[in-house]
Amino acid sequence: MNPSLHFRPLRPAVAADGATTLDLLITVRSPEHPPMQLKERPGLNLALVIDRSGSMAGSKLSHARKAARFLAGELTERDRLAIVTFDEEVNVLVPSQPVRDPLLFISAINTIHSGGCTALFDGWLAGATQVANQLDPAGLNRVLLLSDGQANEGLTDAEAIAAKVEGLTQRGISTSAFGLGSGFDEDLMGAMAAAGDGTLAQIESPKQLADLYASELQGLASTVGRKVSIGIRAKHGAELVDLLNDLPLTSAGNHQLPNLRYGQELSVGVRLQLPAWMPNQEIASVRLAWDSPDQEGRKTLIEQLTLPVKPEAELEGLEVDPEVAEQLALLRANRERRLAIEELDRGDLRAAMASIEAIDQRLKGLPQSDAITRERRLLAEKKELMTQDRNLSRKRLRRESLRSSLNVWESGDDNV
Amino acid sequence: MADSLSLSTAASLGSDSLYGLEELLALAGERLGEEVTPRTVRLYATEGLIDRPGKDRRRAVYGQRHLLQLLLIRALARRGLSLTAIAPLVTCSDEELGQQLLQLEEPSPSAEQQEALSYLQSLQGERSLSSSPGSSASLLPLLGSPLSSSSASLSPQRSLSTRSAGRSNVASSRWHRFSLAPGVELHLSESASIPPAGKRREAWLARLLERLREQLESES
Repeated sequence: MNPSLHFRPLRPAVAADGATTLDLLITVRSPEHPPMQLKERPGLNLALVIDRSGSMAGSKLSHARKAARFLAGELTERDRLAIVTFDEEVNVLVPSQPVRDPLLFISAINTIHSGGCTALFDGWLAGATQVANQLDPAGLNRVLLLSDGQANEGLTDAEAIAAKVEGLTQRGISTSAFGLGSGFDEDLMGAMAAAGDGTLAQIESPKQLADLYASELQGLASTVGRKVSIGIRAKHGAELVDLLNDLPLTSAGNHQLPNLRYGQELSVGVRLQLPAWMPNQEIASVRLAWDSPDQEGRKTLIEQLTLPVKPEAELEGLEVDPEVAEQLALLRANRERRLAIEELDRGDLRAAMASIEAIDQRLKGLPQSDAITRERRLLAEKKELMTQDRNLSRKRLRRESLRSSLNVWESGDDNV
Repeated sequence: MADSLSLSTAASLGSDSLYGLEELLALAGERLGEEVTPRTVRLYATEGLIDRPGKDRRRAVYGQRHLLQLLLIRALARRGLSLTAIAPLVTCSDEELGQQLLQLEEPSPSAEQQEALSYLQSLQGERSLSSSPGSSASLLPLLGSPLSSSSASLSPQRSLSTRSAGRSNVASSRWHRFSLAPGVELHLSESASIPPAGKRREAWLARLLERLREQLESES
């Protein structure tokens, strides 16, 4: 059972006698369920890296301990877990080993106390080394990094850290980044999760940690494909002029998609510019490639896009696919949040609010489905927050802007 | 009385062979491929990581359990675990000790594992380069160079590290760390006020140097 690729154009034809701007949704659909004969989920090889810097003191750290105990309790002896803590120094609390007796992990977790500043990169490095020591190329190998702070010790540059995380992703170990509270660096955590082919979470209350870990385990257990990439090649004079998702580029010049999970659909929005088109001529070829957790070697799937060709005059009268219009609008709304963030960073609050307003205006013109209503509510909330709590507003905007390019955890109760 | 009690404990664990310290060290050294010193064993015993040895007349004797404990402690310590973290792991039954040990003695790593590990080691290498004196120490120019190069040959002193450990009680303060010489670091709180360059700075540095000298001398 493999993922499949589907094309949905905004309008179902291209022009024979003139240029066409073709808006298109490319959907990657994962199978609903694992095949029946599939044995249990593959073993997990995890390192939990916990920030214990001074700012974690109190309820944050006590929730972090509680959630770590929960995680240890959920794993079985087929899984491995290492626990690393860091402040300005790194401590391998429990080296990677099978979770035969959760109590052993729990008693170690109970010894975690808060310390000094935040050597985030060194902590990640130690966790990664624990996972690498036990790397199972056919399994799921991941570092889970939990921090509430800005990296202020050791390597601190977001781009440099992300580049190093990406190097490890290429070598079979992924990284999820979980930011906690109001002091973490959302750009750094986002960059690490994107480069790490993992999950980004921003948790405002430490109480949400246990839910997050449960969802992370569930996500890992239902992974269909990792290191997923999509290559879009326009043909015969067609040109790819825009890709609405902010997907990282792979070394081969393709785009990196988040991990695929059973029952999940990922959509990529593109715009192609076509000259006058001949019937039956392929417009583009799309190639999906991924690593399957239970099989060796890279998997690929290639689909060709062709569309009916009609006189230009008739195109105008063709109906727009409303679902495609909605999806494309939502992808644009994610991307345009970046502009508002840049304006916030320049200190131009008025421009940032105007940008949010402009996104909302475009959504207003669409049929008000549940998804559009929810999106508009999110935007209204950000606009209001900008004047009250600019930091929180920026964090949420960053998280929302990344929804179309990586797995972003959203808890059930903060969709207000 | 105490002697016979510990002997019987050792016997009840089913270990036929009892070793003297020398034998224990030799066996452990062979299994681990590293030398284990009597001091190490004594340290582990005082820290409660290894059960107290039995006594045969005035000689301390060790059993299979002691050997297992020692092997496990060394294996864990080599993986970067602190003794406090190891402590709860070595109190379990002999069988569990053996199991844990088996898990740690992994077969030789696969090609993928090698690649990931050597990649991480290269990052580690970059890290230690970038933290070498001067390059990452943005505040250092402010401080001048308070220590003469001869201090490089001194190993870090315990009372210095105890001192620096005290800072972690201050929950919200941030600390910067500067490497002054190989093995010598300065931890500086953000709240520390450094006098402006000139006479006051010189006097401040002289006081620091004096404190440092006291610390080092009280250690030796």
